[in-house]
Amino acid sequence: MSASEQELFQRLSDAVVEMDEDESVAVANEVVERGIDAYRAIEQGLSAGMERAGQLFDEEEYFIPELLMCSDAMYAGMDVLKPHLRSDDVAEKRKVVIGVVEGDTHDIGKNLVKIMLETSGFAVTDLGRDIPPARFVETAKEIGADIIALSTLMTTTMEGMGAVVRQLSEEGIRDRFKVIVGGGPISQGFADRIGADGYAVNAADAIRLARALVAPAEAAA
Amino acid sequence: MRRDQMTPLERLAAYGAGAPIDRLPCVPIVGNTAARVIGVKVGDFRGNGALIAEAQVAAYRLFGYDTIRIFTDLYTQSEAMGAKVTYPEDETAFLAAPAIDDLGDIDRLRPADPHRDGYLPQHLEAMRRAVEQVGNEVAVTGAVTCPFTNASFLVGADKLARLMMRAPEKVHHLCELSLQTNIAYAGAIIDAGCTPSLTDAMSSMSVISPRQFREFSFPYLKRLIDYIHGRGKSVTLHICGKTAGIWESMVEAGADCLSIDNDADLGEVRLAVGDRVRLMGNVHPSEVMLQGIPDAVRRATLSCLAQAKDSPKGFIVASGCSLPTETPFANIHAMLDTVRAAGWPAKC
Ligand code: B12
Repeated sequence: MSASEQELFQRLSDAVVEMDEDESVAVANEVVERGIDAYRAIEQGLSAGMERAGQLFDEEEYFIPELLMCSDAMYAGMDVLKPHLRSDDVAEKRKVVIGVVEGDTHDIGKNLVKIMLETSGFAVTDLGRDIPPARFVETAKEIGADIIALSTLMTTTMEGMGAVVRQLSEEGIRDRFKVIVGGGPISQGFADRIGADGYAVNAADAIRLARALVAPAEAAA
Repeated sequence: MRRDQMTPLERLAAYGAGAPIDRLPCVPIVGNTAARVIGVKVGDFRGNGALIAEAQVAAYRLFGYDTIRIFTDLYTQSEAMGAKVTYPEDETAFLAAPAIDDLGDIDRLRPADPHRDGYLPQHLEAMRRAVEQVGNEVAVTGAVTCPFTNASFLVGADKLARLMMRAPEKVHHLCELSLQTNIAYAGAIIDAGCTPSLTDAMSSMSVISPRQFREFSFPYLKRLIDYIHGRGKSVTLHICGKTAGIWESMVEAGADCLSIDNDADLGEVRLAVGDRVRLMGNVHPSEVMLQGIPDAVRRATLSCLAQAKDSPKGFIVASGCSLPTETPFANIHAMLDTVRAAGWPAKC
């Protein structure tokens, strides 16, 4: 049966890339009916599809509207599959707090990063836009986040990222969280300067970064 | 340092006619930086046309650039149609919530009346006052946020993007309403003795595809530009972010001058459409103008000159987008001084 399992995963992936919510739900239901592992269907089907969509975005085949439609198809399939995840799959989820820093309301890029993180199995708490440093820290403590992800597109608001890192240090909890940063004016140099744990230029790299940052802990667990 | 020999109006008229000029036109796009020039808070501009005019005229007199642009933020028209805008005490306003939350309310949206709604009357007052004070020497423009971008403030950017795929007719409806507001406002701007200056961030290829631009943005832009042309004014169109794939369409929509930002290549745009439209750009507003030192501004300005100074339909040295509020005055002076020193025909 493994060939047709692969076939179903491929169809899930295609449904996401083709922005076909109905197909995504139909195939997800088929996965459930046939007792196929929901976790693998998400990873090798839906997530793989979203990753392909992200590549198409980088290649300027897809733009923001298409990506949002792909993510709708992905979430539709996810809603069907989620209740069928085994509890150990669910428990493994790494937590991320994401938001756009204070003074900035550009949120299209942040929304993409959030979608891709969720796609890759992170549990994401989205604070939205125009978020003061203290709220990132509070929320991260509250939910026991692994990663704090900060976004800004404006030079004038970049310093808010440094403020988050500083507050973590002042409270003596800097090493409890990984801080990642991104957005137009952000660079690796800036990330290093403010003492962030990582920078990524786009959503696909943000995922690789987030995974790499939580990987050692995972191996130790 | 060399002094200007002509007024901005004389310079632009002569440049357009192919007659000699003292230097190329130069427009560091000063927005709320004007508040710093007269020592007030950005938030004080809210609903205060007299103060906006005072600041913009003072900034023009201080720096000597070639157009005044009455602009505080992108949301004036959408606010007049019901969007909620937050006004921080001393920073640029931003969108707090779109005009409607629920698409069921779409039929309640109406085009704005520029003489009555939101702060449009105060912005028009600022334009009239600026024209009164310096209209005999410099062109005063009024910023107009174009249909597609304004539409995104009516329902929210993500929702608009989804509607493009799910219910395109609703996007067209929102753009049509925005266009009606734009046309009424542009008309009032012209009545005030000014020229509308078009800006359309959401039409950028950083957000939508060239095909989507053709479908959802172009038709409305073209009608807006046709209207402005009908009233005898020429049109500068600014779209930020990536734009290479839509330059042709921007020209076809009727723009007389394309203002491009630092994500676009001045040399390339010159080759692509420089034979048909005037160009304007593209010193980096934040990395160079805000964060750089005057010497970096000088180098960036010279590099723009090298790329486009002899573009067939003309070139205006400018920042890629409106300047961040805290841009140092020394950097704005440096841009103009570099253009003054280059003279005409510009040497760089
Ligand atoms: C669309 C747009 C808008 C829309 C935003 C709608 C929305 N809901 O987001 C509107 C029209 C509202 C807008 C408003 C303004 N804008 Co604007 N806008 C843009 C534009 C054209 C595209 C931005 C975009 O969405 N790109 C698409 C997304 C997908 O890309 P992205 O955000 O970069 O995200 C990717 C990566 O950066 C990365 N990433 C993003 N976040 C994160 C986070 C992490 C943790 C990681 C790892 C990675 C990561 O992954 C993403 C996906 O690949 C840019 C131009 C440009 N060059 O970017 C200007 C731009 C960002 N805007 C700018 C400005 C100045 C403004 C205004 C102040 C204008 C004004 N004077 O009023 C206001 C802002 C008001 C405020 N206080 O917030 C400037 C900023 C300059 C600067 N460096 O400071 C830009 C660069 C234009 C310019 N050339 O000057 N804008």
